[in-house]
Amino acid sequence: MDNASPSLLDHSVPTEITGAGSRAVERFARFLSGFVLRLLIFCFVIVLCAVLSRMMPGDTLEVMLSTDFARGLGAGEVLQLQEAMGLGGGIASQVWDYWGKLLSGDLGYSIPHAAPVLQLLLTALPWTGLLILGAMPVFLIGGALAGIEAGQLPGGTVDRWVTPVVTILASLPPFTGAVLLLLLFGILWPVLPTGGAEPLFPSTEHLGRAMGVLRHAILPMLALALHELARFYFLARAETLNLAQRDFIVNARARGISPWRLRWAYIGRSLVPACLSRLSDTLTGLVSAVFFVEIVFSYPGTGYLIYSAILDRDYDLLQGAVVFMAGVVLLMNWLIDGLSAHLARRG
Amino acid sequence: MQVTSRRRLLLAAVILLCLGIWLAGAGGLLEYHSSKEVLAPPGQGHWLGTNEIGQDVLTGLILATPTTLALAIATALVTVSLAVGAASLVVFGGPFLSALVLRCVDILQVVPTMLLLLLIAALVSPGFMALFFLLVLTGWSDDVRVAAAVLRREALRENVQYPRVMGAGWVYCWRWHLFAALRPLLGALMVQNIRQAALKSAGLAFLGLTDPRLLTWGSMMQSAMDQLYTDAWIWLLLPPAALLSLLLHTTLTLGDRRLRSGAVLGPAV
Repeated sequence: MDNASPSLLDHSVPTEITGAGSRAVERFARFLSGFVLRLLIFCFVIVLCAVLSRMMPGDTLEVMLSTDFARGLGAGEVLQLQEAMGLGGGIASQVWDYWGKLLSGDLGYSIPHAAPVLQLLLTALPWTGLLILGAMPVFLIGGALAGIEAGQLPGGTVDRWVTPVVTILASLPPFTGAVLLLLLFGILWPVLPTGGAEPLFPSTEHLGRAMGVLRHAILPMLALALHELARFYFLARAETLNLAQRDFIVNARARGISPWRLRWAYIGRSLVPACLSRLSDTLTGLVSAVFFVEIVFSYPGTGYLIYSAILDRDYDLLQGAVVFMAGVVLLMNWLIDGLSAHLARRG
Repeated sequence: MQVTSRRRLLLAAVILLCLGIWLAGAGGLLEYHSSKEVLAPPGQGHWLGTNEIGQDVLTGLILATPTTLALAIATALVTVSLAVGAASLVVFGGPFLSALVLRCVDILQVVPTMLLLLLIAALVSPGFMALFFLLVLTGWSDDVRVAAAVLRREALRENVQYPRVMGAGWVYCWRWHLFAALRPLLGALMVQNIRQAALKSAGLAFLGLTDPRLLTWGSMMQSAMDQLYTDAWIWLLLPPAALLSLLLHTTLTLGDRRLRSGAVLGPAV
């Protein structure tokens, strides 16, 4: 090889010795810059929430005054209430006050629920987490396994039967799927509870209570999993179709390794980075799908809380919930992004 | 070629159908008024039954069709146009504009848009135009990177480079070379965006957050939810749900098969 043309060796030696550290620093810097970007977006969401809700015609107090809350209130009391609710002064000072409260961990107070917003959200969040965490293995493992089966033998029995079914599932909006499940297993054939997260009188024993919670979570989890299943099925199927032509798979097949090892150790592991990055892409979608599912099943998670805030015109709760959920989503999104970038680098 | 002409025919048929329904609605041929026949099951008088205030479900479905479809198609059209415009800025706009657009796209892609949509919709109860505006605002950023990648690839081809060397401007090259090369992608993106817009608008309508006067399949499903424990769900809930699923299924199968690997599904509502 002549000296003028760049060779692979020319390139690899310096990176072996000096480049590894700087690349690690670069990766860390990228990870941090992702955090800064999300922090800026979070600030933007806070400002948007604070400004939007105050720019709309009528404020929370006016909505309250149009109801029974207003009975017997004098003009002075109204002004006092306005000040107490942070609705006095101009928009800029209101937004500034809101920021100050947020920094001290105060998301506001929900009058219809008679409780601080943060406390309501912290009570509701575990229920939403339970649904997402419960549905995740179903759509991730179920979708991936079915996709691998279909992708290994395109046009085969599994592919011919499963792909059309999954295509139909993908055509159902999350709320339609949830309503159909509710109708089928809650109303027409009432084997599972139709709403709530626990029985009216929960068992006092731990095991009994856990069983009650599980029974109530089955239908919402299934609705969420069915909706997301299609996404991971199509991804796993497409990736398996590509992987099947890669040398290491062809070689493994030729060596006659067991079909399960091929699925699990060869194809399955190679799918992990793709599935994780897709999960990061769809995290916000997952959160909004869980809203619909919670609303249909009256499940007391954050989605149902937000919906009840909308129905009650409880703007403090609505605003606090949006800010809080945006923070949670951005944080999860950042962590999954970092993890999937790390796994993709390992190959 | 055959597939393209079939798609054109389908699109023309859909537009004609919508126009026909609109004219029928405006001319008073189709009236969606309440009557004393409340929650009547499907029969001779009302082929798909009536709802809780005696409105004919079939008439409602027919009248809701152009609104639902027009909202989805108009949103997709504007969203894709904006995405391609932004992609052109990324590819041809120089380093500053390119970085600016890409950072905006980055930001919009991690913003939990459905949360913002919920907040805004709860505050303003959007009608047709406001909903269209909201959907465009939250949807245009998804396709910029895909369009920019294809545009960058096509801009390097000989059929573009040659006229460039001969003195042709980018507008000429866009009109006569790049647009033709982008057309298959634009078709796929349009279908994908129609799906997304239909899903999002139906979702907001299902939650009862859109203007109550805006009749869509989603809003019909929302009003049918009160009848889940009576037999009326069969004729109140199933028809709009079936039509919505049919629209989503059609867009899924019309879309490029390669996009079906999951990208076409996009984020859930």
